[in-house]
Amino acid sequence: MQVEVSRRKFLQGSISLSIVGASAISATNLFANNDEDSGGGNSSIPKTITTKTGTGKADEVPILCGMCVNKCAAFARVEDGIITKLNPNPYFPKSRNMLCPRGNAGIQTTYDPDRLKYPMIRIGKRGDGKYKRVSWEEAYDAIVNGTDKFKGLKQILDEEKDNRATIGYCNGEGLSKEGFEVLVGQKIGTPNYVDEVSICLETAGGGFFSTIGTYPEIDFEHADYLVIAGANRAEAIITPDTLDMFKYTKGRGLKTICIDPRFTNTAAKSDKWLPINPGTDLAFVLALTWVVFNENLQNEEFMKKHGVGYEEYKQHILSHKYTPEWAEPICGIKAKDIYTIAREFMNAENPIYYPGRRSVLSPNDYQLRRAMAIFQALSGNMDKKGGYIFGNRGLLPAEYVKQPIYENTKERFDTEGIAFPTLKSGSWIVFRNMILEGKNPYPVRAMLMRKHNPMMSVPNTAKTRAFLEKMDLNVVIDILPTDTAMLADVILPEASYLERMSPVKSYGFLEPAVVMRKAAIKPLYETKTPEVIFKELGEKLSKPLFEVSKKHDKALQELIKEKGEKVAFEEGGYNLAEPFEKPIEEKNEEIITEVFGKKAWEIIDEKGVYYPHIEEYHKQLSPNDFQYYPKSKRKYTSRGDSLKVICKNDSLASGGIDVMPTWHDEWKFSVPKGEFRLITGRHAQFTQSGTQNNMMLRDLIPTNFVWINQRVADKMGIKFADRVEIKSEVGAIRLKAYPTEKIAPNQIFLLHGFGSESKGMEFAYGNGGNDATIIKDDIEPMYGAAVMHSTNCKIRKV
Amino acid sequence: MARYGMALDYKNCINCKACEVACKEENGVELGAEKHRIWVGGNNPEGQWPFLDIASAAFMPSQCQHCEDAPCQEVCPTNATYYDENHVVRVDSDKCILCSYCMNACPYDARYVDDRTMTVDKCTFCSDTRLARGETTTACQNTCPTKVRTFGDLDDPNSEISELLRTREHFSLKSHLGTNPKLFYLT
Repeated sequence: MQVEVSRRKFLQGSISLSIVGASAISATNLFANNDEDSGGGNSSIPKTITTKTGTGKADEVPILCGMCVNKCAAFARVEDGIITKLNPNPYFPKSRNMLCPRGNAGIQTTYDPDRLKYPMIRIGKRGDGKYKRVSWEEAYDAIVNGTDKFKGLKQILDEEKDNRATIGYCNGEGLSKEGFEVLVGQKIGTPNYVDEVSICLETAGGGFFSTIGTYPEIDFEHADYLVIAGANRAEAIITPDTLDMFKYTKGRGLKTICIDPRFTNTAAKSDKWLPINPGTDLAFVLALTWVVFNENLQNEEFMKKHGVGYEEYKQHILSHKYTPEWAEPICGIKAKDIYTIAREFMNAENPIYYPGRRSVLSPNDYQLRRAMAIFQALSGNMDKKGGYIFGNRGLLPAEYVKQPIYENTKERFDTEGIAFPTLKSGSWIVFRNMILEGKNPYPVRAMLMRKHNPMMSVPNTAKTRAFLEKMDLNVVIDILPTDTAMLADVILPEASYLERMSPVKSYGFLEPAVVMRKAAIKPLYETKTPEVIFKELGEKLSKPLFEVSKKHDKALQELIKEKGEKVAFEEGGYNLAEPFEKPIEEKNEEIITEVFGKKAWEIIDEKGVYYPHIEEYHKQLSPNDFQYYPKSKRKYTSRGDSLKVICKNDSLASGGIDVMPTWHDEWKFSVPKGEFRLITGRHAQFTQSGTQNNMMLRDLIPTNFVWINQRVADKMGIKFADRVEIKSEVGAIRLKAYPTEKIAPNQIFLLHGFGSESKGMEFAYGNGGNDATIIKDDIEPMYGAAVMHSTNCKIRKV
Repeated sequence: MARYGMALDYKNCINCKACEVACKEENGVELGAEKHRIWVGGNNPEGQWPFLDIASAAFMPSQCQHCEDAPCQEVCPTNATYYDENHVVRVDSDKCILCSYCMNACPYDARYVDDRTMTVDKCTFCSDTRLARGETTTACQNTCPTKVRTFGDLDDPNSEISELLRTREHFSLKSHLGTNPKLFYLT
C-alpha cells in the first residue's frame, strides 16, 4: 500500500491557502473593552491562545460539553484559575470517553476575545451597532421600562391590556433551555414560542414517534447491515452513533450503504455510495418496500403481531406499483441496486435503516420517516439486540412550576398551511411570516431571544430582519455579538458553558445515566449564568407586570378582592423568580439525593456522571474501551407485546395528510437549465453558526466554500477559490468556489453557519456566505417545519 | 525507560480532526492551519460523479513517525534533535538554529516552525505534558471519537500495543526508506 503524506495535502486540496495566520489576530472590535475591571487585564484570562498544560497542581472539574447538542462528558483541567485543557470523561455511556474537535476547542469559546462582556443597551439606530455599556440593574430596568429609544415590557403589556401573547420568545438548545421556557412561557405567560425544532428535526421526531412510539437508539455493536440515507454521521457527529458505527464499517461486520446526493465523509466510509436526487428518498424507501412485499421477504409474524393497518399498507404499496423501475428515474438510483439492497436488507441478521436525525430537507419528510420506520419493522429487527432500541426512560422525575393564569392572554396563531400545529414550539417560518404579512390576530411587539440566532438559522434572512425590526423591544441573552444580537435593544451577556453549573440531565435508552455540568471557572467579565439571569429578570419583572395584570385582568381583580393582594400574588404564581430562587448547586444536590441517595451525589459531584451500580458496572477494558453496563444489564427489549407499528394512521386524514406514506409527483426533482439545487449540511468542525468565531476551529475550516461540480466549473471558467455569487429568488451571497466531483452537475453545496454580518465578531464577520440568506422559506405540511433543500440558485463569477 | 510507539486503527478514522485540536490545546501548539504536530491526510475520491472510487478516499491520520533511525536526527548539525530515554524523537529548542535541514530530511513532512520559540517543532508523544504527569495516553489517543490510536511501550510484551502488533496485520509508512517508524497502521 502506498500512502502519500504531505503537509500541503492535509486539507484535501489547497483549502489551506487562504488561512489567516495567528499573528493577524488581535482583540480589537467595537464590542471589545480593555478596561481593567471588565476583564481586559484580568489575570483569569490566558495570555496566549493555546496554553500548554503544566505538570503541577490542577483541578479536574467534570463538565458537559456545550458546543453542540450531544452533551458529551468531559473534565476541565484548571490550572491557576485558567482552563488549559478539556479531556474526555470515561464515565458517561453516551459519549464513550471522547471529545470531538469542537469539544476540544471549547476553551476558545470561553476565552473568545469578542465575548459579550457586560450588559448593553442600544443608543443608536437598530443595526448600526451603537450600544452603551450599562449595569445589570440598568439593563433590567430598560427591559421593564424602556428608554428614549425603545419601549419596555410594562408599557407594551399595558397597551395590549395584559395580553401576554404580545411577547414572542425563542430559545436555543441546551441545559438551560427549559429554564427560559419556564420564565417566559410559564411565568410571564406567553404561548408564542419558537425554537430550533421547527428549523431542524421536527418531522424526524414526529414521523418516528407517530409510527413506532419513539425515536430509537441503534445497537451498532450487533448490527450487520446499514442503510444510511440523508444522514452524515462522520461529519454531523451524534453520540453514541458516530462513535460506534465506524468501528464496524469497511468490511468489519457492518455492510454500509450510503445514500446521499453528495460524497460525504460517511460515503467515504461506506461499501457503496448511491447519489440520490435531493428530496426523493421517499420514493426509494417505497420501492424497497415494494420489493419486500412482492417477494414476500418480510417478517410476517412480527408485522401481524405489531402492525396496525399492515394488510392495507401491503396492498397500498403493491397496488401503487412502487417498483424499482418506477423509482429509478425519480431517484436517479438504478432499479437493480434497489432490488439488491431490499434483498440484502431482509436477508441480514440485524439490518438497520438508519433513522438519521437532521433538518427537514423536503416537503415529504414526515412521510419519509413513517416509511423508513415501517420498512425497518418489516425486518422484525426492532426492540431487540442489534436493532432499533427503545430502552429505558430517563431516570429523573419532572418538576412542578406554579403557573399564573392570565385571562387576557390570547392563543398562538401560527397555524396557516399546517395540518397539525405544535402548540409548544410552533413554526418559526409561519410565526414570522404571518406577522410580516399582517395575518396575526393581535400585535406581537417584543422578542425575547436566548442562545438563538434566527438571522442565520431561519431560512430567508431578509424576512427575519424585517420581523425583528417590526418589534418594539428585542432582548438578546447570549455569549457573542451575533447577527441577531446586533438587532437587540438590550443585550444580556451570559456565562459560557464552562463557567456555570447546569441543571442535572438524565439520558435513557440502552445505558441510562444522569449527568451534571459543574463550573470549571467563575463567570468571566460581568457575565452571569442563565439561571441567575432568569431569577433576577423574574424579580425585576414580577411587581411591574403584576400591576399591569391588576389593571386589566378581571379574574385577578376578583381573586384580590377575595383573598387580598399578597395572597393572590403568592398563590397565583405571580412571583416570576420563584422557580429560580434556589441556586442550581443546591437544587441539583437535592434532586440527586432525593432520587438516588447521598452516595450518588458524592459520585456525580466528583465524576459528573451517575447511574445505579456505576461503581460495580463501570470498568476499563483496555486503554480505549470501557464497560458502562454489562451486557446482561442492558435493556435491549423493553416494549415487547406493547410495541405498535402504525402503518396506517387514520387520524392524519383530518388534517389532509396521507394516512399511509404515498408518493406525489409534485415532489419529483427538477432544476431549470442553468440553475443549481442548493443543498446544505454540516462539518465535524462546526456547529451551526455558534462556532463561527472560534479561532481553533477556523484553523480547520477557514471559510465555507461552495461546492460545484468540477466539469461544470471548468465550463463556467470557475477555479478553486474564485469568488462567486449565488443568487436565489430570496437573496444573494458571495463566497469562494470549490470545484469537485463529489457533487452532481445540477447541485451546489455549502456549509451552514458562515457569513456573519456582525462586526462584533472579528473572525466571523464577512467570512463566507450565510445560507439562510438564500434558502427559500418553504414549509412542510405536517408541522410547518422549514424545508431546507427546495431552493434553486444561479451562480456567476464575480 | 520505555520504547514508545503508536498503533493506528486507521480504518476507524472519520477525518474529524479532534486529534489535531486536542494536540494543540494540550501542548500549546501555535495557532495556524500549517502549524500542527498531527494531521489527517485524505484524498478526494478518484473518478467522476457519480462514479467515484470509495477506496481512493481513505483517511490517513499521520504525525511524526518517531523513527528508530530518524533522518531528521541524523542531519541535525547542532544535535538539537535527539532521542530521549523513551526513544521519543525530541527537539532541544535552545540548540535549534532553524537551519531547517530536519524539515527537508523528514520523509513524512512532520516538522514545522514554531514562530514563538523559533524552533523546528514536532510531536513529542506528549512527553513533557501528559507523560510527565504520569498519564499513559497521549492527547490524540485519549480524545479520538472512534478510537483510532493506541499508544504504549513496545518493549513491554504485556502492553496493549504489543498485543495489537502481535495479533493484527500492520504496515509502516515509507518502510522502504529504512527509517523504522514506531507508528504502525493496522489493517
